[in-house]
Amino acid sequence: MSKIMTVDILSSIKGAQPSEAVNKLFEVIKNANLTNNNSFKNNHNNAVSLDDLREDVVIDSPKEEKKIIIENFPKEKNGYLVVSKVIEE
Amino acid sequence: MAKEFTCTKLVQDKLDLLKSNAYNSVNSLLDKMALELAAKVDAKIESGQEIGLLEGIPFGIKDVYMVQGTYTTASSDLLKNYKSAYTATAIQKLLDAGAIPLVKENCDSFGHGSSSENTIFGAVKNAINSDLVSGGSSGGSAVNVAKDYTVFSIGGDTGGSIRQPAGYNNVFGLKPTYGRISRFGIMAYASSTDCVGPIAKSIEDIRIVLNVMSGKDIKDQTTYQSEKISEETILNTDEIKTIGYFKNFIESDAIDAQVKADFLASIEKIKTKGIEVKELDFFESDTLVSTYYTLAMAETASNLSRLDGTNYGARIEGDNLKDTYSITRSENFSQESKRRIVGGNQVLSQGFSDEIYLKGLNLRDQISDNFEKDFKEVDIILSPVTPNTPPKIGDSLNDPLAMYLSDAYTVGFSLGQLPTLTIPKGTATGLQISAAKNNDALVLQFANFLNDLI
Repeated sequence: MSKIMTVDILSSIKGAQPSEAVNKLFEVIKNANLTNNNSFKNNHNNAVSLDDLREDVVIDSPKEEKKIIIENFPKEKNGYLVVSKVIEE
Repeated sequence: MAKEFTCTKLVQDKLDLLKSNAYNSVNSLLDKMALELAAKVDAKIESGQEIGLLEGIPFGIKDVYMVQGTYTTASSDLLKNYKSAYTATAIQKLLDAGAIPLVKENCDSFGHGSSSENTIFGAVKNAINSDLVSGGSSGGSAVNVAKDYTVFSIGGDTGGSIRQPAGYNNVFGLKPTYGRISRFGIMAYASSTDCVGPIAKSIEDIRIVLNVMSGKDIKDQTTYQSEKISEETILNTDEIKTIGYFKNFIESDAIDAQVKADFLASIEKIKTKGIEVKELDFFESDTLVSTYYTLAMAETASNLSRLDGTNYGARIEGDNLKDTYSITRSENFSQESKRRIVGGNQVLSQGFSDEIYLKGLNLRDQISDNFEKDFKEVDIILSPVTPNTPPKIGDSLNDPLAMYLSDAYTVGFSLGQLPTLTIPKGTATGLQISAAKNNDALVLQFANFLNDLI
């Protein structure tokens, strides 16, 4: 299982190629000097404590919300969302 | 006090201005909803009931916020017919306070841009000189405030998207501390720096709107409870004794000579008031920009992977499911959005994540550490908003690297998750005032001081 995934497959964008402008930004990072090697110090860690998690309950959407969700279906049949046939490769 | 005009007339006048405007600042008008709400305010006033501070005040909303039943397009082909099923927390709080939403405002598609040219609704024109860009990504919002089409507008700031267009159009724009305002109901660009914030014509308006939108929200677990900022607090400007600025920002070859001279003149004026000014060391602009874009692209690639045309959006059918995904995304995302999604998937893929993505995270920690160290020495960091004045419409799309680098002065404060305000004074594109995390009040205090001084 070592299939190489190219960026067009990873991005689900046909013919996608890495861009020169973006690669220049990445070069700067590759060449940057690090003063410490601890990648997980996480000053930007905004995770909440386990005591402060919201309740794990299913909340039924209001009627109006459901109506709009159905309105947004790209393809609909008898109130159901129509999707392409799922294929296995 | 004699009643001079009704709320309905105020709202109708603003709607007319928005409808006929030539700046491309409007994606859709919320006229029916706005007029219904205005009639309710008029009835309340008529019956002698007291009204709140924001009641009847017309405002605009960047077209990345959910407002139930309205089109929320992110200025993209993919979502051009998408209707919000629910309302964003920040917007709901404004509605609860009685403010009246008039318009969903033009912006760069999914926040991907610094000029509001990456949009299916036409480039937003600068409010001061319509040959120039409005800035971005919240360009329509800044222009609507500058032209008085809205009293205030709600923008979104990931790497400067409120502060830079505010500077380009000479209005105030605040990126609050990350987590002060709930992100629930804003379309995610880079979740670790996305901030909701107001654009307005006065510090007092910024304060009032900030207070209404702030607070902990169970639907965004990065939010925290904050104290309301009082008018008295921000009028007391004696607390600030020491400020700093980044020497390398000002000594850079990339800064416009006039912006530099004006910034240094502002520093001299501040010194005359007995405030100590320190020169600070900071990371080079290209490191800041590269760190920000590496992380933002990684996050946007993940966040936008949900947009595949399955449940909503402009699906284009292919031969099979995977084909449908990729045709839908190829045809409906803009060049700039695709560039960022591909970049994000590059840095997240095996073999690249260690030397780019994880290193970017590490650099971000160092940037935050640097801010922590600085705020032990100074109360405020002052900076220009941009190195240069706004480019002409058409120039940015041709040179994405130049556009990325133009964000040099804003992205660092985003990575640090700091409260930062653009004040339209001091340089042609304004000044940026930053303080330590959660110190939004101090930012507004210093803004008041500067507003009187310059």
